[in-house]
Amino acid sequence: MSPALFFKFVGVSFRKETAYRFDYLVMILNGFLYVFIFTSLWKTVFAASGGGFGGFTTAGIISYTVVAMVIRISFSMDDTIIPGRVRDGSVAVDLIRPVSFQMMNLAQCVGYSAFHLTARGLPILLVSALMFDLHAPLRSLPASAVSLVLSYLLLFMLNFTVSLLSFWFVEVFPFILLKYALINLLAGGLVPMDFFPDFIRPVMALLPFQHIFYSPAIIITGRVAPEQAVGIIAVQALWVAGFVVLSAVMWRAASNKLVIQGG
Amino acid sequence: MTPDNGGPTIIEAVNLKKEFTVNEPGKGAFGAVKALFSVKKMIVRAVDGVSFSIKQGDFVGYVGENGAGKSTTIKILTGILVPSSGVAKVNGVVPYEDRKKNAGNIGVVFGQRTQLWWDLPVRESFEMLKAIYRIKQNDFAEMMKKLSAVLDMGPLMDVPVRKLSLGQRMKCDLAAALVHRPGVLFLDEPTIGLDVLAKENIRAFLREMNKTEGTTIILTTHDMNDIEQLCERLIMLDRGRIIYDGLTAELKSKFVREKLIEVEFHGTPPSLLGMPELSVVEEKGPKLWLKFQDEGGGIAKVIGKLASFDVKDISVREPSVESIVMSIYEKTRTLPPYVEETK
Repeated sequence: MSPALFFKFVGVSFRKETAYRFDYLVMILNGFLYVFIFTSLWKTVFAASGGGFGGFTTAGIISYTVVAMVIRISFSMDDTIIPGRVRDGSVAVDLIRPVSFQMMNLAQCVGYSAFHLTARGLPILLVSALMFDLHAPLRSLPASAVSLVLSYLLLFMLNFTVSLLSFWFVEVFPFILLKYALINLLAGGLVPMDFFPDFIRPVMALLPFQHIFYSPAIIITGRVAPEQAVGIIAVQALWVAGFVVLSAVMWRAASNKLVIQGG
Repeated sequence: MTPDNGGPTIIEAVNLKKEFTVNEPGKGAFGAVKALFSVKKMIVRAVDGVSFSIKQGDFVGYVGENGAGKSTTIKILTGILVPSSGVAKVNGVVPYEDRKKNAGNIGVVFGQRTQLWWDLPVRESFEMLKAIYRIKQNDFAEMMKKLSAVLDMGPLMDVPVRKLSLGQRMKCDLAAALVHRPGVLFLDEPTIGLDVLAKENIRAFLREMNKTEGTTIILTTHDMNDIEQLCERLIMLDRGRIIYDGLTAELKSKFVREKLIEVEFHGTPPSLLGMPELSVVEEKGPKLWLKFQDEGGGIAKVIGKLASFDVKDISVREPSVESIVMSIYEKTRTLPPYVEETK
């Protein structure tokens, strides 16, 4: 798919969101509420524990929380699109086009996220920057950018792979719920990995989830120096590559399995 | 027998089969619980050994009752479904192995779904298609001009797709399937749900595209008028198998030799005892409806004989394609069932 066509798909999806999202003010409030709850929570916890916990300073955990929240909100994706189109058979229309199904879905996903970035992520970041003393060293910027792109791709690939299950199962909602639970718990969007007990950390290190929000957030906030970030970015890239291969294998199998509902 | 228009073969299907596995639902509450533990699977063969070849410029009707395998065949030829066995080729491309390449060469309309962007104005949907098919600006402008003239799309261009009526949407969908000048056009129930006038417009358009652009068209439909008016060739399916493949016109002579003669006499109809080849279907005042088994041109003789009576008006009616199709289905219902039980 050419970049021009890719961005056309992005544009259509972005505009679709702007047309329908009258409720986005509510969603901004919802985002602020999350930031407010978790920053207050950590402030209280840190004050009670004497100013340091899990290797974070109070200022450090506030920065981490805001950054991770903003990434989480900006990386909003609609993971019901593919299962919905398989369920009602309109996936047939996607397949008569001379474009890659994966790339088309990525482009649509980027458009969707771009809306949530501009309409929710950035306003929340701006207001938080005024309210809190956010720490994000400039020299981490290049590594942060690369890590963010990879974490976006990782989350997309995870969603896409789970979505492909809809070619086998009529009902994929349980899988999506399980994915939500794992991401909320293990991706670092709410609670950084450092707060988990020691015995569970090696297990989490073997899973892809912490590379979705935790890895970019610790790189952006400078908790990890840019030199150390390279290793983390390499692992992120490996996970993305792994999911690309997995989803390609699944896609081949799914094509054989596809049933178009409704004739 | 396959009709030959002399052109190169553009679509080829060889012994295509497509099986779907279906879980048999348990009967009643107990059955539903039982089905949780032992799933009885059925294999449904939607397409069961279909072979045909279609030449460039053909206009082929692909008909059959619901579940006969029409749409499944179309979905194999468009690269959406992978056949369980057999081979298909469109423009020399195996559609399910090289879906994207095939998709660039064909146009597809699914009557029940739109390929347009629901939220965009029609014009922008076409701009998207222009980018997707990488159509050059000049070609695009020229084709859009032609399509909107023939389909009268001008007033629709700035309307969001979701606000179009079914007939308007179908026009736009047809144009969308043709804007990149595909060599082959697949139409899956394009006239479903349309009123008579809209159907007539769309038929005229398809005839025109087939003639002027040389587009090969494969049309599935339930409307036998579509077939009778458009398709020179007819492929008929029943439970996944082809039961007729030939000229639409020949279908009549091949399957139905029965003709209906309507005669109106001056005064009371005479006795037709001297003509045992005729049987009276109905009699109403001076009018008689007669059935005649036409075994090779005998109809002229019969008319001649009838004319020797005091006849006011006479007309011969042929059965519609629809009634022929119905009678063929009835004849072929002795085929083995297409559902097999495995376990």
